[in-house]
Amino acid sequence: MSAYLTVEELDGLMEINLRHDWVFANLRELQETLDEIEPVAHRLVRFQCGALQNFDLAGAWILYERSMDFEEIGVKTEFENFRARHFKFLQHIIDLAAQKEYIPGFFDPKPHHYWRDGIRGIGANTIEAVDSVGYIARAVLDGIKRPSRLVIGETIRQVHATGAAAIPIVSVICFLMGVVLAFQSARQLEQFGANIFMVDLVANAILRELGVLLAAIMVAGRSGSAFAAALGTMKLTEEVDALRVMGLNPNQILIIPRVLGLVIALPLLTVFANAAGLLGGAFIGATVLDINWFAFTERLAITIQVNDVLVGLSKAPAFAFLIAVTGTLRGMQVKGSAEELGRLTTMAVVQSIFLIIVADAIFTVVYSRIGF
Amino acid sequence: MDEQHQHVISIRGLVNRFGRQVVHDHLELDVRRDEILGIVGGSGAGKSVLLRSILGLHGPNEGDISVLDHPIRHHEPGPHKKWGVLFQGGALLSGLTVQENVELPIALHSDLPVETRRELAVLKIFMVGLDLTAASKYPNELSGGMRKRASLARALALEPKLLFLDEPTAGLDPISATEFDQLVSFLHANLDLTIVMITHDVDSLFSLCDRVAVLVNKGIIVDTLDELVKHPDPWIQEYFGDPRAVRARAAARRRSASRRGPG
Repeated sequence: MSAYLTVEELDGLMEINLRHDWVFANLRELQETLDEIEPVAHRLVRFQCGALQNFDLAGAWILYERSMDFEEIGVKTEFENFRARHFKFLQHIIDLAAQKEYIPGFFDPKPHHYWRDGIRGIGANTIEAVDSVGYIARAVLDGIKRPSRLVIGETIRQVHATGAAAIPIVSVICFLMGVVLAFQSARQLEQFGANIFMVDLVANAILRELGVLLAAIMVAGRSGSAFAAALGTMKLTEEVDALRVMGLNPNQILIIPRVLGLVIALPLLTVFANAAGLLGGAFIGATVLDINWFAFTERLAITIQVNDVLVGLSKAPAFAFLIAVTGTLRGMQVKGSAEELGRLTTMAVVQSIFLIIVADAIFTVVYSRIGF
Repeated sequence: MDEQHQHVISIRGLVNRFGRQVVHDHLELDVRRDEILGIVGGSGAGKSVLLRSILGLHGPNEGDISVLDHPIRHHEPGPHKKWGVLFQGGALLSGLTVQENVELPIALHSDLPVETRRELAVLKIFMVGLDLTAASKYPNELSGGMRKRASLARALALEPKLLFLDEPTAGLDPISATEFDQLVSFLHANLDLTIVMITHDVDSLFSLCDRVAVLVNKGIIVDTLDELVKHPDPWIQEYFGDPRAVRARAAARRRSASRRGPG
């Protein structure tokens, strides 16, 4: 028989002697042993508990539950020779069971209604989007109507944190992008002996599209997430509420400096990105492709117009606005839990990158239509 | 019971320093089996550092700590299955419901079927005085008192022999605090539990604790409350001479007198 109990069958009576430790650590084996017992042919099951060594709530519960199973099929159960302390456990379990009812399946996951939930989700998101637009519009209006002295200092801090601090990483990325573009275009142009047109390709791609796009994506990852996480944490720790009861408008102190700061910082950052990209192209030209620095700059002056630079730079404030608004709004939506904070921070980054790409597509179509 | 099992926790020569500031200077402490030990001390006296050292969350500069015959080392697993901790803020995982929070340690440390795990978790939740509706809620939907209870249920999930309570009644209204004290006392009476609690609540001190450890002058003074109130240390005198403490002591004396009954 098992290490935990022995069974004796008498006339119409089943005596079960419990032994050893009936504790949480052995629960699985206890459960299996108890399940093996078939009391069908008996009218009475008696649990002898004298030899029991350690006993805890989990052990008591499993014993009680099995005895209830027996009672249910019409077999009477009784407990004998409990030590006072052990009996108290069991009594405690019985009291708990009497006071509160456990409904099996109460915690089972509710069935999903994909269609209904999906449509509801679209509706909720739409309302949320409209709500957000109104919220940010009001925040900006507030800021214009009653500018606060705090805003200026905070804005400068944001320009530094989101712009100046990002210069190294954005420059490195754009330099490498210039290198990649130069190599790829040179491979094609070599076939026609037109290596020098590499400059046209690199310069157009970097100045019109990639410089600003890479800078914006990098900033979305760096600062968009930082905005959401910082504001979200402030919401969770009631800092936002503290600002409000001190008579400060959280929108003014928290949102406007971030939006304003990024709108100033991103165009400036784009200048660095553009320069680094061109430098990357020129570097490959000089070292690999027989286009020296002089030839590169000369070709650059011929092929690039002022409006090519402006096309790239003009997108920067728009991208900055999208990143900052998405980040701060998602941060302000954090409620309740750390998990929510993580979810909304992720959402802020994913959505701002998505919006950047969508906006870029719109810009490109519009600019090509008007011949800018 | 043999000698080595007498002491559930034993601390020898514990030294904790932060820069030049010495918090504990060769501190010694033994916690006896089945007692409720209260730890008090002024702010900065090192209550939390002591608790964190015992739990292995903080590496002391010197000294040996053993809990349930298990030597405690920083960053090494302690006797997880035998102790439970109620953190000050509850520290329930915010992304899980109360029931999932309580079920988590059971799932981590056993291979029980889901239904059994769930029933055990619910049993613990009932035991601390919550119901199924509360069990299905997330921690941020609960009141402070309920959160503490839920956290206690989680601490008790693995049938621990040793329970740590960090300021269990802090932030609770007097009624909830008294109820919580009653719950702790009830659990202590019904389970084989040794309880170590940091508290500032003089009511809990007088109504629950068998002995009290006071952290003063980088060391520790452990005694029963009746002896401690006579101790000459100025901080102790001030602490127990405080009107609130005097009132709590009188109330505790009345309670124990009425428990003993007339005659």
